[in-house]
Amino acid sequence: MEIDPLPNGNTATENAAARPASDAVASLAAAAKAAAPALKVSHLSDSLKLEHQFLRVPFEHYKKTIRANHRSVEKEVSAVISAVDSSSSSDFSRDDAVSHLSSLVSRLQGLKRKLEEGSRVENLQAQRCRARLDHLESADADNLSEWSNTRLKRILVDYMLRMSYYESAAKLAETSNIQDLVDIDVFHEARRVIEALQNKEVAPALAWCADNRSRLKKSKSKFEFQLRLQEFVELVRADNNMRAILYARKYLAPWGAIHMKELQRVLATLAFKSGTECATYKVLFEVKQWDNLVDLFKQEFYRLYGMTLEPLLNIYLQAGLSALKTPFCYEDDCPKDDPLSQESFRKLAASLPFSKQQHSKLVCYITKELMDTENPPMVLPNGYVYSTKALEEMARRNNGKITCPRTGVVCNYSDLAKAYIS
Amino acid sequence: MELNTFRGSFEHVVKKRKLSSSNCLQVVDKINHELERALLRVQSDQDLTLTVDPKSILKDLKSKLDEFGPEKELESSQKELNTNLSKTQKLLEKALNPDISKANRKIEFDGQTMNKIITDHLLSQGMFDVGDCLIKETGAPEANLLRSQLLEMYQILEALHTRNLQPALNWVTVNHEKLKENGSSLELKLHQVRFMELVQQGSQSDALKYARAHLAPLACSHMDEIQKLMACLVWIGKLEKCPYFKLLAITNWEKLGDELSRQFFLLLGRSCRLPLAVAVEAGSKTLPSLLKLMNLMGVKTQDWQVMEELPFPVDLGKSFQFHSTFICPVTRDQGTLENPPMLLPCGHVLCRHSILKMSKNNSRTFKCPYCPLDSSVAQCRQLHFP
Ligand SMILES: [Zn+2]
Ligand SMILES: [Zn+2]
Repeated sequence: MEIDPLPNGNTATENAAARPASDAVASLAAAAKAAAPALKVSHLSDSLKLEHQFLRVPFEHYKKTIRANHRSVEKEVSAVISAVDSSSSSDFSRDDAVSHLSSLVSRLQGLKRKLEEGSRVENLQAQRCRARLDHLESADADNLSEWSNTRLKRILVDYMLRMSYYESAAKLAETSNIQDLVDIDVFHEARRVIEALQNKEVAPALAWCADNRSRLKKSKSKFEFQLRLQEFVELVRADNNMRAILYARKYLAPWGAIHMKELQRVLATLAFKSGTECATYKVLFEVKQWDNLVDLFKQEFYRLYGMTLEPLLNIYLQAGLSALKTPFCYEDDCPKDDPLSQESFRKLAASLPFSKQQHSKLVCYITKELMDTENPPMVLPNGYVYSTKALEEMARRNNGKITCPRTGVVCNYSDLAKAYIS
Repeated sequence: MELNTFRGSFEHVVKKRKLSSSNCLQVVDKINHELERALLRVQSDQDLTLTVDPKSILKDLKSKLDEFGPEKELESSQKELNTNLSKTQKLLEKALNPDISKANRKIEFDGQTMNKIITDHLLSQGMFDVGDCLIKETGAPEANLLRSQLLEMYQILEALHTRNLQPALNWVTVNHEKLKENGSSLELKLHQVRFMELVQQGSQSDALKYARAHLAPLACSHMDEIQKLMACLVWIGKLEKCPYFKLLAITNWEKLGDELSRQFFLLLGRSCRLPLAVAVEAGSKTLPSLLKLMNLMGVKTQDWQVMEELPFPVDLGKSFQFHSTFICPVTRDQGTLENPPMLLPCGHVLCRHSILKMSKNNSRTFKCPYCPLDSSVAQCRQLHFP
């Protein structure tokens, strides 16, 4: 919110010179005007603190790319070095040496191209981090409603991506021109794994585990173990018992130290086979185990990228609906502006807490405006309360007659009494 | 804001990354250079006597590379970058709340309901393509009626955008009665635009004809405005002198569109303040205090799962207050049917329980706690906040 002080200062002095008497009034009004956005801005800076995922995901992506690129360079360089090492102790002919060295040179050319491509991707990702920072910092009192509108769209794209509505997510991002502000590309990685798991293929999931081995290990993830268990169960289901035992020896045994109990339970399926009625083992053969793997993968994936485990939309809605929920919301005359007047929102809010009220808050039934000292409540002879503004307007239009909109009772404006409600 | 620290640290990372990557390139170049030199030496040996055999050239190459130590070189540049990366991430976690799902209750929202809410929202925003796509992807029931209604609205708005009044005028004519019931002046405003266009074109008789046909029927509810409009007829040809002209010429077409969509939603039994937007906005204002509370409660978060009421009031602002609540200033109880707010003769309002208590169960008069006036229970009136 930088404002060029010079032209502003000039107009201020001009105005002051023209109307010196109103100077004080004008500055008071300006102060009052400034105070309102100030409140908005403090709300705003609080709600910006909720945007961790928004910055973290592209940063995590950037970090991941840097590390992966570097690892592949290290690997390639070591390979070249050890090729040189081994050749130096072998008895190469001249021609052998030439072809050996030429192949290493072309290998390095390839690596250089890879490095350049890697740099290009890293630059793009850094640019995306900056775009997000800029977007957060662009929020101010003047563009608040537009900014909030974009936030809602970001939150909706997040929801769609997590629910695998990829096409809708892409379309919403594209029509709203917010591609840089959403994580469609990051979810590409997840999509491949999820769709494979839905087809009962574990290979992409295992590859993903290998790519992220050290971080998964650090968070004591069980995901890879679960994948291996599932593969084992599938072998047992197919009655491929010998292969199952070999598989268990190779891939399950290493997990024995940490997950012995579960390991034993699954190995026992060998004895029961897939048709078992024994509840403990039957469940292992159920198809929904694959859905569990998808869920487990999603959790690991969110954790790895620093995303919230729940969709942002759910988090915002839970908090928002709790703050809006009152016992009156579930009555027929809940006003349409209240989201909780809609059945679908009432359903979501069913197991959420009610908002807490500490002070009286009176909303005029006629104007829907909040009553306060500037627009105080007035009482009709029948005890019904409406805002002064609404009743004055009604009296003006109807020669001083007031008709209670809730009961139809008619009275004179002069019959109204003031109420002081603190 | 603390984001500046993060930005600074991030830019530092970017610089280090560039350094590290040019360092990598140098390492690769250097290996390449040595390889090419060795290659040249092997090749240049072609017709000469074998003074240097390939094996010793390769040995030389190996010792050159050993001496240079490319793997170490690569590692050291990356190490510093890695430290900077972790530091930057920590700064981000410090500047922003790293896990806002802490404020979440462990409840699951019904997927169908969510999809319906989102589809409604997208259609209401006029994003028909995205809405249709979501319906297709989720297999949610189609919202055909709502979709066609909203499509009509957006077509009218689109026309209005290009200064074509006709679709809007058709719509207000069809919905004349309902708009009147809502006390909307939209119909007047739209006819006013057309009328003023005619006035500006200088055609007195056309303007008069139009006024008789379209403004006259609105006279009973908008007498004031119509009188002023008719007065403009007198100034035709010298409109700049007309005292009302500036006032009446509608230049803000955007506002006209806003009012139209407001009325349109109202007639659909909806609100132009889209419920999903309202709820999420309320969420953004509530989450910061909710998260602060979670941090304070620490282990007691299981209480949060069962609380009937938020433990603190949230001030969402005037535009989020949809219901009246009365809190008795004496007992702090919320008004109910059984314990309603009562108006004392002095104008102060207390709940019935307080009044009964102060009057010793209606056995004597009592003094208002907020002013020196005495009252009896009989003088108090029950209030209704509709
Ligand atoms: Zn409500
Ligand atoms: Zn009093």
